[in-house]
Amino acid sequence: MKWLRSREAALAVLLILLMVTANALEPKFVTMRAQGLLATHLWELAIVAVPMLLIIIAGGIDLSVGAMVALAAVTLGLLFERGTPATVAALVAIAVAGAAGFANGWFVAKLKVHPLIVTLATMAVFRGLAEGLSLARPISGYPASFLAISQNNVPGYLFAGFALVTGFVLARTKFGRGVVAIGMEETAARFSGIPVARIKLVLYALSGLACGLAGVILVARNNTAKADLGVGLELEAITAVILGGARIEGGRGKVLGLVLGLLLIHETREFVSWHWKQNELNLIVIGSLLIVTVLLERLLAARR
Amino acid sequence: MKIQLSLLSLAAMAALFTAGCSSPETKPAGDPKVETTGGPSTGKKITVCLLPKKKGVPYFTSCSEGAEEAAKELGNVELIYDGPTSGDAADAVKLIDQWTAQGVDVIAVSPNDPAVLGPAMMRARDAGIKVITWDADSAVDTREFLVNQATAEEIGNSLVDSMAKDLGGDKAAGDVAIVTATLTAANQNEWIKYIKARLAKYPGLNLVATKPSNEDQKLAFSVTQDLTKAYPNLKGVFAISSVAFPGAAEAIKQGGMTGKVFVTGLSTPNDMRNYVNEGVVKSVILWNTKDLGYLTVYAARAAADGVLKADGTLKAGRLGEKKVVGDNVMLGGTITFTKDNIAQYNF
Repeated sequence: MKWLRSREAALAVLLILLMVTANALEPKFVTMRAQGLLATHLWELAIVAVPMLLIIIAGGIDLSVGAMVALAAVTLGLLFERGTPATVAALVAIAVAGAAGFANGWFVAKLKVHPLIVTLATMAVFRGLAEGLSLARPISGYPASFLAISQNNVPGYLFAGFALVTGFVLARTKFGRGVVAIGMEETAARFSGIPVARIKLVLYALSGLACGLAGVILVARNNTAKADLGVGLELEAITAVILGGARIEGGRGKVLGLVLGLLLIHETREFVSWHWKQNELNLIVIGSLLIVTVLLERLLAARR
Repeated sequence: MKIQLSLLSLAAMAALFTAGCSSPETKPAGDPKVETTGGPSTGKKITVCLLPKKKGVPYFTSCSEGAEEAAKELGNVELIYDGPTSGDAADAVKLIDQWTAQGVDVIAVSPNDPAVLGPAMMRARDAGIKVITWDADSAVDTREFLVNQATAEEIGNSLVDSMAKDLGGDKAAGDVAIVTATLTAANQNEWIKYIKARLAKYPGLNLVATKPSNEDQKLAFSVTQDLTKAYPNLKGVFAISSVAFPGAAEAIKQGGMTGKVFVTGLSTPNDMRNYVNEGVVKSVILWNTKDLGYLTVYAARAAADGVLKADGTLKAGRLGEKKVVGDNVMLGGTITFTKDNIAQYNF
């Protein structure tokens, strides 16, 4: 019963406990209809969290994700405002965010600056660019055909595909093993012939692309592009990754853990503000959740 | 064993997707029971959600107090007052979606960004929930009624008239500027329209700029500072949101321009009391915020009972009978707070 000691088990136990409690206190919460409505607000975080997981496994971090989301959103908005079809503008926006992520990767991999410093700096730069370019104006009025990309769970399917592919890559490919090896011991990885710099570049660029996608989804759902979209997203994404059992120093982490972590954060957040009707409680609860999960994991491990 | 877990979580995710795909069943619209006239209504217990633009600012807190009063008086209204403490429209959308999922009876929205909140309000309506707006409006098809605190014309006129009075009556002369909430805020834009129209009455007053402050006091401060530098002949600033007003007044005070440049606008007396007593601000315009919250809850009850009709009247407790003009439930009337009377008000 080794699996019982894993982080995934701890998360699954908490998730089941939560849903049982929710069912007892608020039966309406555990209905398909309610869950479907509530799920719409999960996807941009989920999409951004997947490359964040890979970056953290490889011993890095990306604080600029929220800012890249805003940069993509504003790019989309400004292009659309000047007459570009929304779908073309969306593709350009994703490319711009991808380039922003590539820049992060270049600083980290080629110039060997610590990723915390690089992305702390670019977090400010990208957010500043988004605010400056848009003059902090909201840009609205997209066609219904564009808004539809945030409907019918399209973002949910995107995330599911993204997560499955990432899980496969991480567990079964040379690239995935390289990511883990870099996080374990970078020097050793380099000596054993793993293309460390190239893998890092790919990871940060991937993070940019995911942020671009999240930005486009956010604009479509809100019908508005604004420079303050995605504020605080980096901390939420990092929280989900850590809650999912990834080691912050690198070398360990699983997609399954992340998925369970995301679900637990999402359901807890929604249930708390549903039941207690106080939006502010969420911050306390998410913080406590992180601590409770770690403690529960230790408890399960000790009971062997 | 791990595979079992993977399957479990995949099943959970799958459940989320399918849940979203199934079309929401609509509740039967409205309550067939019609409220008897006079006295507390006898209809079934309903849940009314009151969404402010931003939670935790005195203006909206004061509105919520009036709403509480009305809910207590009616006795059959459970009031939920919640909103984004950040003032972020996306957070307001989350709340509306959550209330929709809960299947509450009425959602009363003060939209901080109509374009962002509109789709969520439509989702609520599609689920059979009565949606009304209060304090600020959004697109007509996203709500049934607006509880209108005062007509834009009343407010625009009051603002310009008191500014002119502060600057010396009919002979008032000099540059004036507007610091607004956001450039997309619907009711601010309406007020600006009437401010411009009313300014024609005072040929000496010259409107030089309209700047957004994005509901951010610090930004209102720096924007006003920039205005005083850019326009040396600036005599007056209309700071027309409850957040922009203190920001603008602080800029004038710290810039040492008290008595040279006057700020006027809409705010609560508590927020502006010191500036009024110090002479930075001569007059503060507002409607009765408690009455606005109070009327909103009465309108919500009537909407849920299906007795709120366009171009009719609404019996609103201690406020008596209020007119419904088109789909606007009118509160009406403004108060001007000055050095002489501000001590009488505490909200």
